[in-house]
This record gives sequence, structure tokens and C-alpha cells, in this order.
Amino acid sequence: MLRVGVIVSFVLVIIGLVLVSITGDTSYPFGVPEFWWFIWGDPFLAPSHILFIGFMVLISTPVLRVIVSILMYLKTRDAMFSAITAAVLMILMMSFMLGIG
Amino acid sequence: MLLPLYVIYAIIISFGSGVLGALLGLGGGVIMVPLLVFLLHVPLHIAAGASIIAVVATSSAAAAAYVQDELTNMRLGMFLELATTFGAVTGAFLTSVTSEAVLKVVFGLSLLYAVTTMYYQMRKTTRSWVSRQNDRIADRLRLDGSYNDTARDELITYGVGRTPITFGISYLAGVVSGLLGIGGGGIKVPAMNVVSGVPMKVAVATSNFMIGVTAAASALVYIRNGFCDAFITAPVVLGTLLGASLGARLTRKVKGVFLKKVFVALLTVLAARMLLSGVGV
Repeated sequence: MLRVGVIVSFVLVIIGLVLVSITGDTSYPFGVPEFWWFIWGDPFLAPSHILFIGFMVLISTPVLRVIVSILMYLKTRDAMFSAITAAVLMILMMSFMLGIG
Repeated sequence: MLLPLYVIYAIIISFGSGVLGALLGLGGGVIMVPLLVFLLHVPLHIAAGASIIAVVATSSAAAAAYVQDELTNMRLGMFLELATTFGAVTGAFLTSVTSEAVLKVVFGLSLLYAVTTMYYQMRKTTRSWVSRQNDRIADRLRLDGSYNDTARDELITYGVGRTPITFGISYLAGVVSGLLGIGGGGIKVPAMNVVSGVPMKVAVATSNFMIGVTAAASALVYIRNGFCDAFITAPVVLGTLLGASLGARLTRKVKGVFLKKVFVALLTVLAARMLLSGVGV
């Protein structure tokens, strides 16, 4: 799972970087981006948006690992660690939601 | 349009840092960030943002190799992760409201800390590891563990002592990681090993698992705050990943001591430059 995440993001970043260089696409927002840009791009899958998706795939690999751990602790009915792991996931989610911009 | 030249330079710098980092068992961030700042004149905030995403990459790549074995103590890691992720969010927020000059001074001081610990490690030939009993918290959370030491062919069991201190240090490690865009393994590993009595190999594997999650928390704040410059981050991620995988393969062939001396010298110079540049000399 980890390896797949790293390889997929590696490929996306290479494609994105090459496309950005060829097209000179500069739609990647400098400064603080709008929240919806992260999802829809401008336009969707513009070269710099591909780059960005590559970064997000990379960042979500450890997040996925946390989610898998929650499921594992729930399955073994370990209430304490289900709660601890869920709290870690909440902090992760919070970190993206509470941007200063 | 050709690749801008600085993209090539950024790949070379991060590749070199990735190789060195893997050879020395550090993340490459601690050396890459100052090189990006001084050689490419990248603002520290942007260099830190690129570095923290590269740290996620190396951590995940290394963790993929560790997962099969039983070294990583997931329960301990997840418990300490409460402190590091929260610290990382704190640190990453602080970055966005801290001036470049202050950040440089903090970075310089952290480099000095890294240099000092490496220097002492070099002089101490045998590592004194004291095993500890579980304290009350560790007992309640069942944080203790065991692993099969393949070198000595015996089952090693260990307890986790003085958990609150290690928990507190982990929070600080998270703050530094978020603030400066580095992994912070250099703080967590000694805490687990020396303070809590976790065997070195377990501490390294567990710290590595934690670094990925911590860096993800920081990276999300950096991206949200616009400190993720695609043209710096992309080459840095690619260069670091390639460099780290080459470094991991070279580990057995390169003599550690000489390399460490070179590294200590290099870090000292970078620390001095960071501090001087921070105070405006």
C-alpha cells in the first residue's frame, strides 16, 4: 500500500513537471489558494493541478495508514486505541481545514 | 520551453541530500533546506514546505521496507503520534506567522543541536542502553513489546518507562518538524531510546513510522497556507526519493565514520551561516 502510494505519486509528479515545463502552465496559485482549487483545479487536471494531486497522493499514504489502524483496533475491540488513533486522524483533518487563509 | 535551470539544481541538491541522509540514517531535510536557501536563494518558508513533502516520501518508502518485520511498535508510535501531530500543526502554524530571520536563527540552533549529538555519538563507541519496566501509563496502554534480534538470534522483550517525558519530547519534536520542515527523528529516537528504554532498532523503526504521519500533518498546513511552490517541491520530491533509494543501497559499502566527520563539518558551516544570516550579518 505504501509502495503503491509512493510510486503513483512519483509518476504523477514526473508527468506534472514535464507538462508544466512544456506548456508553461502557471495556473498553480501562488499565495494562498482557494479551497476549491485543490479539488477542481483551474481547469481540472491542468498540468500544475496534476502536480498537486501527486503531492496529495503522497501525503495521503500515511493518512491511509492511520485509517487502516483505526479499523484494525475497532476489529479487535480495543476501545482505548481506537479512540487514540481516531484522535490522530482528527488532528490530521483539522490541520488542512484550519488554514490561515 | 525547457526546464528552468533551478529545477535541475533543485534535483541535484535534493538528490545529494537524499543520499547523505539515507547513509547517515537521517532524513535529508536538515541538510537540504539550508542548501536550497543558500545556493538557490529559495525563501526558508518555501524550502521547508518542499522539504516536509519530501520527508513524507522518504518515510513512506522506508516504511514499506520495515512493515514486514516486527520492529515497529505501532501502539507506542500511535500513542506518541497524538503529541507529534499536534506539535506539527502548532509548528506549521507558527511558521506562517514567523519572520524569515527568526526562523533562520531557530534553524541554526537546531543544526547546532544535531551537530553536537552526532559529535558525541562518534566519540562514544558502545551505546549504553538501559532497559526499563513499563510505567503506569505504558502498562495501561500495553506499550511494551518484543522482537527477534536476527544478529544475536534471541527474542528481546522491552518495557517503556517514563512515558510522560517521552510524550512531552515528542510534542516538541512535532513542533520543530512543523516549524522547519524536517523529520525530527533526531529528537524522537534518543527520547525513546535513552529516556524510555526502547531498544535502538525499535526506536528507529517506530520513529520512521511516526515521521510520515507527523510530516503529513505539517505538509497539509503548508499547502493550505500557500507555502508549497510546485516548481521547487516537485524536483525536491523526485530528487530526494531517488537519492534516498540509492543511499539505502550504498549503506553497506561506505565507511560510516569518515562520512560522519564530513557531515559534522558541513552541518557546522551551515549552522553558522544560518545564524549569521538570521541576525543579519
